Amino acid sequence: MSRKLYLHMKLCCQCSACCLRCENCVEMLFVRGSGNCVQCDTPLRKSNFRVQLFEDATVDKEVEIRKKVTKIYNKREFDFPSLRDYNDYLEQVEDIVYNLTNNIDVENTKGRMEQYQRENKDIIQRNKAKLTREQEELEELLLLQQQSNEQRRLEVLQEEQRQLQAKRKSKQALLDELEQSKLPATILLAQHKVRAAQLETQIEQQKQNVKPTSLFSTGIQIGQTVSLQPLPRIQEVLYQYKPLQVETYGPPAPDLEQLSRFGYLNHVRAAMPQDTAGGYTSALACYRAMQDAFSGLFSVNG
Amino acid sequence: MFHNSSQKKFWTFKNEDELEQMRYMANEKFRRKALESGKPGVGDFTFLDRHEEDALFRHYERRLLDFCNAFKPAMPKAVVGTAIMYFRRFYLNNSIMEHHPRIIMLTCAYLSCKVDEFNVSSTQFVGNLLQESPAGQERVVEQILEYELLLIQQLNFHLVVHNPYRPMEGLLIDLKTRYPTLENPESLRKSADDFLTQAAMTDAGLLFSPSQIALTAILNSASRAGLKMESYLTECLGLKEDKETLMKMYDSMKRMKTLLKKYELPKQEEVNAYKHKLERIHAEFATSSNKRKRGYEEDGHVAKEPRLTEEDWTDEDLL
Repeated sequence: MSRKLYLHMKLCCQCSACCLRCENCVEMLFVRGSGNCVQCDTPLRKSNFRVQLFEDATVDKEVEIRKKVTKIYNKREFDFPSLRDYNDYLEQVEDIVYNLTNNIDVENTKGRMEQYQRENKDIIQRNKAKLTREQEELEELLLLQQQSNEQRRLEVLQEEQRQLQAKRKSKQALLDELEQSKLPATILLAQHKVRAAQLETQIEQQKQNVKPTSLFSTGIQIGQTVSLQPLPRIQEVLYQYKPLQVETYGPPAPDLEQLSRFGYLNHVRAAMPQDTAGGYTSALACYRAMQDAFSGLFSVNG
Repeated sequence: MFHNSSQKKFWTFKNEDELEQMRYMANEKFRRKALESGKPGVGDFTFLDRHEEDALFRHYERRLLDFCNAFKPAMPKAVVGTAIMYFRRFYLNNSIMEHHPRIIMLTCAYLSCKVDEFNVSSTQFVGNLLQESPAGQERVVEQILEYELLLIQQLNFHLVVHNPYRPMEGLLIDLKTRYPTLENPESLRKSADDFLTQAAMTDAGLLFSPSQIALTAILNSASRAGLKMESYLTECLGLKEDKETLMKMYDSMKRMKTLLKKYELPKQEEVNAYKHKLERIHAEFATSSNKRKRGYEEDGHVAKEPRLTEEDWTDEDLL
């Protein structure tokens, strides 16, 4: 029997979490109903053990403590006059949870909790009621969604069944005709083919004929009037393009286009076919040389 | 382009006095640091003063140029120019006494190959040190790699250098296109090239823009050949109206020519004497970067060997 079977799947831990125990050990220890924890000697009850959800036991412990604390401290932002007050309240709650999780000042904290509970009993009740109402609404919605999903699935199934049946019927009809009718087989086959094609197109059309939904994807009902306020206009200054001015401290160098016109390119080595294939032109080298020659020519230093 | 480059913003200075001031400060800084280290028997005479440093600098710069010219595969001119510029910029803010120019010079060349996209592997690079054994070449590679980051840092990470070679090409093209008065601008190319090489060995690159240096080169070679080119400046460059800029340009060109005339290679005996002094200084005041070479020692350890014996390769090994 091991207290070290941490990896055993059904691990439980005490909500005041002094130690971890696997399920068998729990059974063993509490065969008599209640007893003390082996490691830290606190009185425990078997019912207090829960299945561990998280890998880290401390996290699980904290989760349990938090659940209990928020049952008591269940005020909402709505209940507070300002954001600052709400944040202060939240910080209080966190302090309490932290203390209880790390076994700091347990007595004091528990005392504080009890005091708070006594003082705010009615608010706690009211909030509890609100909570249950909200949960019920959510559940209703979920139920509705589930039902509609079910229905759709059933309808699809039924459609498929009908189509299958129709196909079978037409095949059967073909066989019957082949037996009874006096027309040659090829004509009968051709007729059958035409009928099958018609059936196909019918099915296609039905598929296309999706039932128009009553809801937009955002959840607004079709046909519901939504207030269309004009959006507030944001006036800004229009962007004006201004070409970049660069100071070269020298005479202006000729542009790429001017180079060939003024005959600069005659004095540069011509580009070979291998060069032009890569996108190189002699104008590029010439341009760079000219720019370099004139850049900073008139600059005075210091 | 040059007009919005870091070279123009940070590495172009007003006049030679400013440069001299910076070098003087670097020298002073080293002296102070060495004196503070509290080694005994150190006086002012052990240090190099400015003209001695200068002579050594010019000597090593010449060696750098020769190394680059003898380099296999052939190094493009721009790479050589960049290497020399790095060397010059480095010793603007650092003293020769602190970092030995022998290694810095090779590091400059190596870095310049990388920056100017002249692809040479480090093994190929040190393969050009013909006097060295392969083991010696390995050691050089290690040293270069150690100093590389220091070099980049002292250049303030401004690695793009604008050399006057392309501006010169551009001006020649312009002359051929727009200045028919000059019959054969190609004849000017050779002596303009020589002018540019000489200018690289002076502070011209730190004082003037590369296009100005190129223009001076061309005008100089034209005047040497007895050709008149003043109308180029006034007509083609549009300076007919702008007398002030024209005057300034002539002024800059004169200054540049003076710089070139002043240049002279230091005498060999002087260089040898100063080199001895330098080696002694380096042996005495081994800096932390040297300690790193011996492995990661704790700070309490004293350097066991003087640096002189560790440097197995000397200047003569370079060429």
